Amino acid sequence: MSLRQKLLLLFSLTVAAAVAAVAWTVLLRIRQVFEQRDRDETALFVNQFQREFQHRSADVAAAIDRIAGQERVRNMAFELVQSGDAAPFLSEAQTLAQDARLDFLEVVGPDGNIVSSAQWPARFGYPEPAVREATRNAFLKREELADGSTALGLFAVQTVRGSEPAVKLIGGVRMDQAFLADLPVVPGMQVGLYTETNSSGGDAQDGGTFAEKHFVGPEGTMPGGAKYAGLIKAARGSGHDASGILYMTPDRADSVAATAIPLKNSAGGVLAVLTVAISRGGLVAEQQQVKATAYGVAAGGILLAIIFSLWIAARVSRPVEELARAAEEVAGGSWDARVPVRGRDEVSVLARSFNHMTEQLENQRERLVQSERVAAWRELARRLAHELKNPLFPLQLTVENLARARLLPPAEFDEVFNESTQTLSMEIGNLKKIIGRFSDFSKMPKPELERIDAKDAIARVRNLYAAAAEDGPRIEVVTKLENAAMPLMADPELLHRALSNLVLNAKDAMPEGGTVTISARNAGSNVEIRVSDTGQGMTPEECERLFTPYYTTKQHGTGLGLAIVQSVVADHAGTISVESREGQGATFVISLPRAKG
Amino acid sequence: MFRRLAISLLLAGAALDAGARTRPHYGGTLHVEIAGDPWERPTGVARRLVYDGLTQFDAGGALSPALAVGWEQDNNFHRWQFRLRLGVRFHDGTALTSAVVAASLATSCGSACPWDAVKAVGPLVIFTSDNPMPNLPALLASDQFLIALTGTGNGGTAAGTGPFQVTGFNNGVLSLAANENCWLGRPFADAIEIRVRRPVRDQWLDLGSGHADVVEVPAEQLRQAQQQRLSVISSPPITLVALELGDAGALANTNLRAAIAAAVDRSALYNVIFQKQGEVTASLLPQRMSGYSFLFPTERDLNKAQALRGGLAAGTLTMSADGDAAMQLAAQRIALNLRESGINVQMVPAGVRHADLMLRRFTISGNDPAAALERILWDAGQLAAVSEQSSADLYKRERTILENYRIIPLVDLPLGYASGPRVRDLRLRADGSLDLAGASLEDVR
Repeated sequence: MSLRQKLLLLFSLTVAAAVAAVAWTVLLRIRQVFEQRDRDETALFVNQFQREFQHRSADVAAAIDRIAGQERVRNMAFELVQSGDAAPFLSEAQTLAQDARLDFLEVVGPDGNIVSSAQWPARFGYPEPAVREATRNAFLKREELADGSTALGLFAVQTVRGSEPAVKLIGGVRMDQAFLADLPVVPGMQVGLYTETNSSGGDAQDGGTFAEKHFVGPEGTMPGGAKYAGLIKAARGSGHDASGILYMTPDRADSVAATAIPLKNSAGGVLAVLTVAISRGGLVAEQQQVKATAYGVAAGGILLAIIFSLWIAARVSRPVEELARAAEEVAGGSWDARVPVRGRDEVSVLARSFNHMTEQLENQRERLVQSERVAAWRELARRLAHELKNPLFPLQLTVENLARARLLPPAEFDEVFNESTQTLSMEIGNLKKIIGRFSDFSKMPKPELERIDAKDAIARVRNLYAAAAEDGPRIEVVTKLENAAMPLMADPELLHRALSNLVLNAKDAMPEGGTVTISARNAGSNVEIRVSDTGQGMTPEECERLFTPYYTTKQHGTGLGLAIVQSVVADHAGTISVESREGQGATFVISLPRAKG
Repeated sequence: MFRRLAISLLLAGAALDAGARTRPHYGGTLHVEIAGDPWERPTGVARRLVYDGLTQFDAGGALSPALAVGWEQDNNFHRWQFRLRLGVRFHDGTALTSAVVAASLATSCGSACPWDAVKAVGPLVIFTSDNPMPNLPALLASDQFLIALTGTGNGGTAAGTGPFQVTGFNNGVLSLAANENCWLGRPFADAIEIRVRRPVRDQWLDLGSGHADVVEVPAEQLRQAQQQRLSVISSPPITLVALELGDAGALANTNLRAAIAAAVDRSALYNVIFQKQGEVTASLLPQRMSGYSFLFPTERDLNKAQALRGGLAAGTLTMSADGDAAMQLAAQRIALNLRESGINVQMVPAGVRHADLMLRRFTISGNDPAAALERILWDAGQLAAVSEQSSADLYKRERTILENYRIIPLVDLPLGYASGPRVRDLRLRADGSLDLAGASLEDVR
């Protein structure tokens, strides 16, 4: 990871963390505010609803009171008391209930027995204990019906005016789906009624079980009724209101703030649970809108931070990158690399120092090159002088002999003359040979590349030197070649010359005889050719200087052979190295690029 | 002198006017309203207007000829032959023949007939059975055996021989027209329009406003109708309200059936639901007919019921009730009574067959106790000839029947109707049905 990337990441993370922290704090506060608002709204609606419920209770009490004051009812009560015959009034309650739009109405005689019942007409003559314990206020009661079921009702009791002994009326409205539908609800409010009975007839301390079929809303079975189970059980178990937020679907907007209100009878037993649920859709949508804005601002902030970080990182890292690039160039040999100097900060000081350093390096290299050039010339002159001096000395002796021989008799002079001319010719030939080698080294031809197989080049060298080896000391030439093809793009003559040089060197290194091994193999994308001898080997110092031109370990070598080999290998984009230990022979390793295709 | 003449003229005018009021007039349309179906048995008002039986009960309850002019039994009541009235034609003009009568009777009771075979031999219709049929003429007077021309009719209603024929049924009104060629003679009214399924309260309002001439007065509202000064005619208590019990499942246990009989509070039914009309009964035949009805106790005995039920778990029994709201209410009351004795009962709609308990009405017609008893048993699906003639034998027979607790008699009720001011000579037959053929309208000229 580059410095710029690191800086960018660091800056971005720092700014993003700061923005996220601010956003989280803001959102937390928003949520708290919305939840408080949610609670306030729910409490308001629940209070409104409870007041409406109380109004309904008052309406029921008023309706019963009105019936109790009717002339017709007073006459009925009078006749009932006077005659004691309840039979004529069997259907009276049904008529009165129908007129007053009540679901339940019973006329109860002075003896406490039902005279007429609207909800269960066949129940006449049976006692109605509720009239004894009830007050003027409306109360909840579970009423048995003819079909064996029970219904929850909001009841009130009133004595028929003027009746003595008292004839009472007990009546009310059924708390069911229709009752809920008749209650005024604000948009988004949903009311439900859970009316399951249990065996004890009251509330279970643990809230009892929950059966969704007993939970109805204004339009039938309460949708998503099972979600209310916890609240309803809590309200039934505790006898107090229970509130909570219910998520109807995984969508947060589809949630309600619900309150379960236990409805109790006069003994305090929970007969039913009324639920008031306020949709949180609008609230959640508003909250989500605020959240979306906050997220947008945060995202924008983070984006701006990243852009700013990019600019900062670029500004901070650019001089360093330029320095690094320049350093790489210097390392690659381009000592003239310079970096621009901007400002007066530490990086600019570093840049100036770098530029000064490269200038110094370049100057030193120039001086080194000049001194090396002088040294090379000196070495060349020394070599040339040394090489030329050897043949010159016999030439001088021969010419001096020839000059002295002029004084000899002609026969002896002729013999000396012939010997001297032969010697002169031979030494002149040596001089030519020396000069030719120096000439060859200076005129290395450009390789003409063609596709060849390394095995062919090696075979050619082996054939040549296997035959020549018979003349000198016992030298065995061995080849170890891989079966697979080892194609090369190479100049066959130059490669042959390089390999021949190596074989000749190997032969020279084994004056007592030995084995020259030429091996080749595919090594990845290269072809590796190894030429090994079993001679005396070389010291590490000798190995280091081996490819230096004019360096030789032989008594009569020019020091150009291996330099030529290295030149040929380099011209083929290859490398050459030597592996040797003193007394254990030497191995030259040529690695050439394998031809493609 | 002038004074005497004037008085004489006034008396003569008054006499003429009185004579004009007593003489019935032909013509006009009689508007009848009922709460139920005009064709339903046993009291469907249209049945007796359109169809006749081979025999009939006169107003006094005596058996009299109708489409059959005579009958005689043979082989100790195993064979009966009925001689048809000649010249009788159905509404569509088809002549009444013994073959048509035999076909009508065969389809009327299907496989559960009181006879084994019925066949036509000339003008005779002959019934034969392996079992004696001592009361066959009386049974044939019941509304189930009215003679219809099968395979014909208007709107699916088969043609009959009665005083009126069906002309249509539109908007809840069944229209009948007078049968000019009725063997009994033409009825006074030209037509009758029967508005069906009309609540009793609305019927009474229509009667008061003149939109109806004859309306129903259920037994429990007879007193109320009289208090409202309606012109009410009612029959003696000829309808037996009884609880019919099955004998399958839990009810196969006779003790449970006896417990049910003991648990029912007849007095509440009689005093409150049926408003003290008719009479409480625990016997099939009413006191006026048998003379021994008082021997069957009518009081409720809850302790006995609980003792009889013992620890028997009867589960939940089903009960249905035929008829009007009063019958439904009576059924609910009985269910409440039974619940007190530990027997749970669930009400089911009237159309549900095979209810464990059925609250039904049985018609008691005629004045022959044995025939009436056999008719009740026949209606209850218990084919059994009742040939006992003495009261003691009949008592024993009825006791045996009742101790099986398949039928629990509860109340005998009258049937009642109210008529408007322009209706004259409205009477009830012996089975309590309206005899509209003899009624006329006063304002028709």
